[in-house]
Amino acid sequence: MVATLLRIRFRILGNTLARSPWQLVGFIITAFWALGVLFMAAVGLFFAGAAGADVTRYAVVAGGAILTLGWIIGPVFVAGIDTTLDPAKLATFPLTTGRMMIAIAIAGLTGIPGLASLIGGLATFTAWWRWPLAAVAAVVCVPLGVAICVVASRTVASLASGLGGRRRTQETVGLIAFVVILFAGPIFLGATQLFRTGVESGVQFLAILDGLSWTPLAAAWAVPGDLAAGSPVTALFKLLIAAATLAGLWLLWSRSLAAGLASPPQTSARRVQSGSLGWFGRLPTGPVGATWARSLTYWLRDARYLQQLLLAPLVPVFVLFYSGGDLTSPFFAGSAIGSAFFVGVAPYTIISYDGTAFAGILQTGIRGRADRVGRTLAAASVAVPLVLLVAVVTVGISGRWEVLPAVLGASFGVLLTAYGVCAVSSALLVIPVAAAGDSPFKRVPGATFTMGLVGIGLWLVAGLLAAPEIVFAVLAIALGDPLWSWLAVIVGIVLGAVLCVVGVIVGGRVFDRTAPSLLSRLKSYKNA
Amino acid sequence: MALSGLVKRFGEKVAVDRLDLVVPTGSFYGLVGPNGAGKTTTLSMATGLLRPDAGTATIHGVDVWAHPVEAKAMIGNLADGVKLFDRLTGEQLVTYTGMMFGLSRDEIGQRTADLLRIMDLGEAAGTPVVDYSAGMTKKIALACALVHAPRLLVLDEPFESVDPVSAANIEDILRGYTQGGGTVIVSSHSMDLVQRMCDHVAVIGAGRLLAAGTVDEVRGGESLQDRFVELVGGRHHTEGPEWLRRS
Repeated sequence: MVATLLRIRFRILGNTLARSPWQLVGFIITAFWALGVLFMAAVGLFFAGAAGADVTRYAVVAGGAILTLGWIIGPVFVAGIDTTLDPAKLATFPLTTGRMMIAIAIAGLTGIPGLASLIGGLATFTAWWRWPLAAVAAVVCVPLGVAICVVASRTVASLASGLGGRRRTQETVGLIAFVVILFAGPIFLGATQLFRTGVESGVQFLAILDGLSWTPLAAAWAVPGDLAAGSPVTALFKLLIAAATLAGLWLLWSRSLAAGLASPPQTSARRVQSGSLGWFGRLPTGPVGATWARSLTYWLRDARYLQQLLLAPLVPVFVLFYSGGDLTSPFFAGSAIGSAFFVGVAPYTIISYDGTAFAGILQTGIRGRADRVGRTLAAASVAVPLVLLVAVVTVGISGRWEVLPAVLGASFGVLLTAYGVCAVSSALLVIPVAAAGDSPFKRVPGATFTMGLVGIGLWLVAGLLAAPEIVFAVLAIALGDPLWSWLAVIVGIVLGAVLCVVGVIVGGRVFDRTAPSLLSRLKSYKNA
Repeated sequence: MALSGLVKRFGEKVAVDRLDLVVPTGSFYGLVGPNGAGKTTTLSMATGLLRPDAGTATIHGVDVWAHPVEAKAMIGNLADGVKLFDRLTGEQLVTYTGMMFGLSRDEIGQRTADLLRIMDLGEAAGTPVVDYSAGMTKKIALACALVHAPRLLVLDEPFESVDPVSAANIEDILRGYTQGGGTVIVSSHSMDLVQRMCDHVAVIGAGRLLAAGTVDEVRGGESLQDRFVELVGGRHHTEGPEWLRRS
């Protein structure tokens, strides 16, 4: 049965690659990249081995920890969760949970990342052959380390994709994910800072690695090194930690699968009192008010929308990171403009998020203009306070209050311009997105390379249209002349407002023409 | 509602092939056909959700594709195979639909309360639609189709997974609705239901109209089930493969 499942997995991979040449190209590039990294790792380890047991030990521990962390974070945040062997789909087959897990784990192991990790693990032998005892231990520990990677990855994926049974689990994992993303920048900043000072002082960095070698992240990788360095007792303890990690993860995964398969997600309801209409009770009746209220409810409640809003606080953090943590830099003072840009272009294919529920909009016979106005107002209801907040906080931290008008003027100009562009583009485009309630991190079938290019093209258009106020704001920040500040304010608001209105009018006309074909395309997507 | 010469192609496949159909005002019209016959496609084109390649659809004399806003205001539509805005609660969803049609706040409040009561959804009014069962979802979708008091109701598979009690209640509402001058078009796979509820029926197969008229005309003395099988064909008389029989 396990063999059959693995055959299915490779058949699916083969079919996917055969169907789209671009994915084949991507596959081959990834494979070569992995080979390159592996080769460098093997060479590095060979020379590390020549330099002595301690160097090798620390190098392997650091590498192992990064590898494990990558397996945990990668699928959830970067690549999307691999759903080729979806436990929910396998549930109908006569297959025990244990066997299913073995099949999924081996499937994970035989993908490019799995094979690369395994070969990378084996590459440590280029160093360990100098210490026979360590080499013998590595025979056990390398498979153990790789197994921890694969199982940890699947456990996190299982929890993140809501297989943990209750929607609350799923939402909690989602929330943690958001927080991690939010603080990824500062954490990274802190880590590199630590690394720098650590390398300078030497000892501190090694102490961190020593500590890390006791944690589940690197324990398995630390065992051969400890043996090589002649401390068999710590090696034994670390081996026990690693084994316990694998057992614990396996148990957690198994329980989350069992819970998820026996009781599908979406059982616990977040109920409200009947009669509580939320935004529908507060905004005016009519197509515009209805669209406004509905869209605003989604902006505030749907993880897929919230994910886009997260970019607003992230931009200043990234700017800070790239400017080396300089709080007084002009880039940081103006970073709210970047936030406004990314929040503004977020709804460029907003109808995609409606999915086939868009049929409900279409059958009311709503005029395109009313739809555009409602959606723009909803997006602005969230984005305007958010951008205002980011602008005041970043300018406040940088202490350059005199540039606040320029930053605000350019930010709102960019926001309005982006909404104008989105009002047109979202009447023309729909793309496959994660379904409502799915993890926004889940891999979406059907998204193509061209769709990504179109998105970047729209960013360029929005950026060019908003260029005047951005230039004025940059001049204001660089030269400190209030004249540029006020130009940024006036041009930003006036030009932005004009472009937004034009966008809504044009987009409304386009919508009237294209709406039925948008619905047809949405219906053709698998999970919309 | 009058459909004339409707055509829809999906690539090479012709889903609906020059279909003409007249639905008299005040009738309870059943639309039946095997899987893939083009029922949903036809109804989508008739209600302004799918642009036909050729042909016209008019409702009370208004061309659906030339004057969509006026036409759609007269239609209440329960589409099959589309999702709802399921993050909203049932009550919010019905209110939202009423607002989209520009009803006044008082009207919306009154109608929403009535509809939730009729559909036995009073208990679940504050629950997000995503947590509804399949039958409850159908019922809330039907409530949304009714909230603006349309003159024509187009219901694609309205009774699928609805419990018998609710189905009977809904049937009563629909019957009262047609007696008050409203028109109902129902697509269904259940011949018994169509024979019992509808006064008119049309049989569609492979995108063409095979038979249409009053239920008695179409079935011509036979049961609708037998007549349908005769028209559509493809019935096998086998006992299934040997290995599937246990004794």
